[in-house]
Amino acid sequence: MSAERIVRLTVNGESHTLAVTANTTLLAALRHHLDLTGTKRGCGTGDCGACTVLLDGAPAAACLVLAAAADGKRITTVEGLAQGGDLHPLQKAFVKHGALQCGFCTSGALMSAKALVDRNPQPSRAEIREALAGNLCRCATYERMLRAVEGWKAFEGVPLDARAFDEHERDQRRDHAVVGHGVPRYDAPDKVTGRARYTADFRLPGMLFGKILGSPVAHGILRRVNAARARAVPGVVAVITGADVPDGWYGVSPAREDEQILAKDRVRYVGDEIAAVAAVDEETAERALALIEVEIEELPAVFDPDAAMADGAPLIHPEHPRYARNVNTKVDWHFGDVAKGLAEADHVRRERFVGNRPYQTPMEPHAALARWEHHGERLTIWSATQTPHYLHRSLSRLLGVPMGNIRVIRPAVGGGFGCKAEATPLDFCAAILARVTGRPVMMEYSREEMFRHFRGRHKQYIELAIGVKRDGTITAVDQKVVLDGGAYTSYGVITAYYAGAMLPTLYKIPNYRYDGTRVYTNLPASGAFRGHGVPQPRFAFESLLDMIAEDLGLDPFEVRLKNAMEPNTRTCNALDISSCEFTQTLLEARDASGWRDKKGKLPRGKGIGVGCGGFVSGAGFPIYRSDFPHSNAVIRVHEDGTAVSLHIAASEIGQGSDTVLVQIAAEALGVPYEWVWLVECDTVLSPLDLGSYSSRVTLMGGHAVRAAAEQVVAQLRAVAAEELGCEVASLVVRDGRIFEGARPERGLEWAQAARLAFARKGPVVGTGSYRPPRNLGGDFKGGTVGTSPAYSFSTAVAEVSVDLETGYVTVERVTDFSDAGTVINPVTFHGQVEGAIVMGLGETLLEDTVVGAGGRFANANLHDYLIPTICDAPEIRTSAVESYEPRGPFGAKEIGEGSLLPVLGAIANAIYDACGVRVTELPITPEKILEGLARPGVSPPASGAALEPAGGTRP
Amino acid sequence: MGIPDLTYQRPASLAEACALGRRLGSAAAYLAGGTELIPDFQRGVEPARTLIALDAIGELRGISVRDGVLRIGALATVAEVADSTLVRARLPAFADAARAIGSPPIRSLATVGGNFCRAVPCADLPPAAIVAGVRLRLVGLESERELDAVGFFIGPRQTVLEPGELLAELLVPAQPPRSGASYQRFARRAGAALAVAAVAARVVLDADGRIAGARIALGAVAPVPLLVPRAASLLEGEAPSEALFARAAAECAERALPVSDVRGSDTFRRELVGVLARRALAEAHRRAAEAGR
Repeated sequence: MSAERIVRLTVNGESHTLAVTANTTLLAALRHHLDLTGTKRGCGTGDCGACTVLLDGAPAAACLVLAAAADGKRITTVEGLAQGGDLHPLQKAFVKHGALQCGFCTSGALMSAKALVDRNPQPSRAEIREALAGNLCRCATYERMLRAVEGWKAFEGVPLDARAFDEHERDQRRDHAVVGHGVPRYDAPDKVTGRARYTADFRLPGMLFGKILGSPVAHGILRRVNAARARAVPGVVAVITGADVPDGWYGVSPAREDEQILAKDRVRYVGDEIAAVAAVDEETAERALALIEVEIEELPAVFDPDAAMADGAPLIHPEHPRYARNVNTKVDWHFGDVAKGLAEADHVRRERFVGNRPYQTPMEPHAALARWEHHGERLTIWSATQTPHYLHRSLSRLLGVPMGNIRVIRPAVGGGFGCKAEATPLDFCAAILARVTGRPVMMEYSREEMFRHFRGRHKQYIELAIGVKRDGTITAVDQKVVLDGGAYTSYGVITAYYAGAMLPTLYKIPNYRYDGTRVYTNLPASGAFRGHGVPQPRFAFESLLDMIAEDLGLDPFEVRLKNAMEPNTRTCNALDISSCEFTQTLLEARDASGWRDKKGKLPRGKGIGVGCGGFVSGAGFPIYRSDFPHSNAVIRVHEDGTAVSLHIAASEIGQGSDTVLVQIAAEALGVPYEWVWLVECDTVLSPLDLGSYSSRVTLMGGHAVRAAAEQVVAQLRAVAAEELGCEVASLVVRDGRIFEGARPERGLEWAQAARLAFARKGPVVGTGSYRPPRNLGGDFKGGTVGTSPAYSFSTAVAEVSVDLETGYVTVERVTDFSDAGTVINPVTFHGQVEGAIVMGLGETLLEDTVVGAGGRFANANLHDYLIPTICDAPEIRTSAVESYEPRGPFGAKEIGEGSLLPVLGAIANAIYDACGVRVTELPITPEKILEGLARPGVSPPASGAALEPAGGTRP
Repeated sequence: MGIPDLTYQRPASLAEACALGRRLGSAAAYLAGGTELIPDFQRGVEPARTLIALDAIGELRGISVRDGVLRIGALATVAEVADSTLVRARLPAFADAARAIGSPPIRSLATVGGNFCRAVPCADLPPAAIVAGVRLRLVGLESERELDAVGFFIGPRQTVLEPGELLAELLVPAQPPRSGASYQRFARRAGAALAVAAVAARVVLDADGRIAGARIALGAVAPVPLLVPRAASLLEGEAPSEALFARAAAECAERALPVSDVRGSDTFRRELVGVLARRALAEAHRRAAEAGR
């Protein structure tokens, strides 16, 4: 180990003298030596901005500064923004404007904003964009950050409260006290101050650090692993290999458990886990990894589905005969009669589309911390997971420990978007290493390891045919999809079904065939990613619909309106659509975007396009067969009646679910929002919730919370009726009072009723649970996938400009109208839709993991895998149409995932409108546009474009 | 990967830094802003195990004008260059190039010297410096030399610097009257992205508005920043026009030596060079015409 040296840092006004090694970064010094964990590590290579601090007043990436080089300097971190207990106005502005979601990028963004306003107190939008260009936010809360920084001065000297900042954000009128109001996020104050702890922020006494050795080759037989040299490294406490872990197989789908904790005899992709090390620090663990000798007999590898299914292709899972030709999942659906439907069509168009392989790229790397307690019988694990319950169950099954002896704690999670919705090798290895060492073990992925573990979007090869009548009425849809699954199943079975299940939810399709094939390849496994399986088929469908509209001389809106789903409809694949205001979203988006004045009337290089989408509000069935309710909640009233605790193991991952659940609790209890304490997500403290996937929390968790609240209210009303000498039925509970509806002056304070109840009967507790209707779905194989109590719908109109010489696309404006039922919180609603639009933009134009030599991703970092920055975010207008879902709490349904789906088609269609190039392969890169422009039949760029500024250059 | 074990040296003088560098050779690397060096360690591609931190050497800092020559110290940060009124007044295209680099938390650390000495082919400052006739002052233990910026680069991550030799400062000569320059780059996204292709151009006009001289340098499309004299010679003596710029731009595209990588194919890069060169010449010409007024 390097010699230590003494450095003196003045951090947030306090001087510190630290002994650091030469390779200690300022980031590590702040986080590990000074426990200032508000500064985050998102990449370690200066690409993400999460570690931005002020160094002598200038914004600086703390991961690129050696602590030794910061000797004698002044450093300000997010913890130093507040003065004398009062938040900095910027922090208040972020809270009130909803300028954060998962919060992982927030401290870095705040520091960049602080540096800006310190020298320019009234920055323009362009200046804010430039100042925050290096602060990647995958939740893409950019629009709200712009507003917060623009309006920061308004918060000078203003105390922070929990009231809604801007009631204009409400699109719907509801007579609720808390629901429907844009109150600040529950977690916002913790996230703007750096107080919120993410998994990697925890430090336990005696804690070790673990790292995993991944396979250097894409396919091979593991002959020998020799860890002797690694074990001998000073500071290494344990090394485990396949021989040291349980024999069991795990996976998301019980039908396809095909993963092992560490490889026992075969590796199937570059990065497949072979061994793990626990050491006194990460650096030592990494050094030890390099000393593990691995002998692998390399096998031929396949990197795309065609190669994988070809005659004589190597089998990736030869242990299971069911995976012949590397086919992991096969779906064969036929509803109605497609041949007949196509025969009845006046026009049939069939096209091929190819998707990309984007990665969720949450700003927070996966992390897990494990500790065994109570004489080694009980495991506590802190994990950056979206699905604590599935993690809980996987750990129990693999480790052979009853769930009752495992405690899963989910700290703050810095985004997931699907890639944190399953147990990871980090969880298993941390648990096993902690057991063999008897010490807590922290494990964290590097940015590159995240890409290697992957679970990103499946790359899909789509053949789609749509038959229509002359007026645009759809007569049949025939879809064939091949999904590149990578080396393991992950969520892939469900993905393969979702890719087919969701098409008929948006438009009325009388005849539908879906042929889906998910194929194993020697690549990192694909999994569930926002909009699960659907974005690429939806991109194909929305693109093809526009092509057909053009063929028939119809307006793209006309053909969509003609076929739009209606409420209370059973789709051809037996999905029950309850509320549906899809038509309204179409009409409003068309009008608000000025479609009629723009479509076909814009100059060359400018274009407008429409796309639509929608999604489930929670899966109708759990991932494994279970009779348990999907969401459960407990509410306990504090003894003096001035607060309540809400116990629910739902997973806030940035989408705002904590806030929404707290609002529902407050509304249903009749108390102010600020009265509710949300108990941290901990399986010891809260009952089962299936987690954050399939956009389920608002509807399902919301129902459970509401039911628990109603039990509490019933108890208080009984006490109040007794006290007031009136009928229970005559009482109203609202705004912290219980009173007679007819005579509001006659009543009790809510707190007083609660005290009386406690005095008489002890703890006032309510419980609630939710399970979806039991009769969902058709009686055919895979008929459970796509079922849901309710469905969202949305329409997006994108306006783009295309640089006809470079092919660079700028998305200038997106207008989106969503049917999300009742919007519980307008601020988090808009934040989710705005974020989905920007993420969709990235997926359409920028993002793809590139398979390099030997099956290794060639762009597994944040300077080659580009996600949108604040400079790329278009002007966005989002709105909720009036809608009420009878199956949702207070009429609510989902918003987080469905709003991504319209974006791809809308942008693709706008690009076509702008330049006549129809790109059917994602992402739509400048290169593909130039290739299209060069094709005969596409008119050359107008000469006036010659001197426009280059795309991608900064203003 | 993490940063390996390192030895950290912080010489107080230029002479000491040179001596250390010469003694340690490739086992050592000079540390300025670290924005290239630290990620290179993380990626496992930097072999040095001793760092020679330059931050104590005051004479490497600062931006000043002496004897009509703008001097930019190697330790001047990219942010300082981007914001410097001296630079912006004399060499706006160079300030533009600085502003195109990374984002504020990177620009405040990254140095001009680092942008040259790490010799990454897509570095933004070198092409803009080359067209401005910038000279580099290199200081060794017992030597000192000056050379044109274009001669500094040998290949990707390779420069003419000898062990123990340091880039001390950039010397920017006064730009000719009636001259203007432009830096144009293309990146895949609007914020904080590396250049896929870049072109810097300087145009000098004569009293009649004809092109008296021109320099065009390409970035990110060759192993080193590439000066394209043949394109420049097409312009000399000619009356500026879009068609003329297009001919010169086509020559630039022809001369580029791009590779295909995850940021773009060689064909695409070549095409970009043509577009960017035309735009750079047009802007340089406009600025030159304005300067002549």
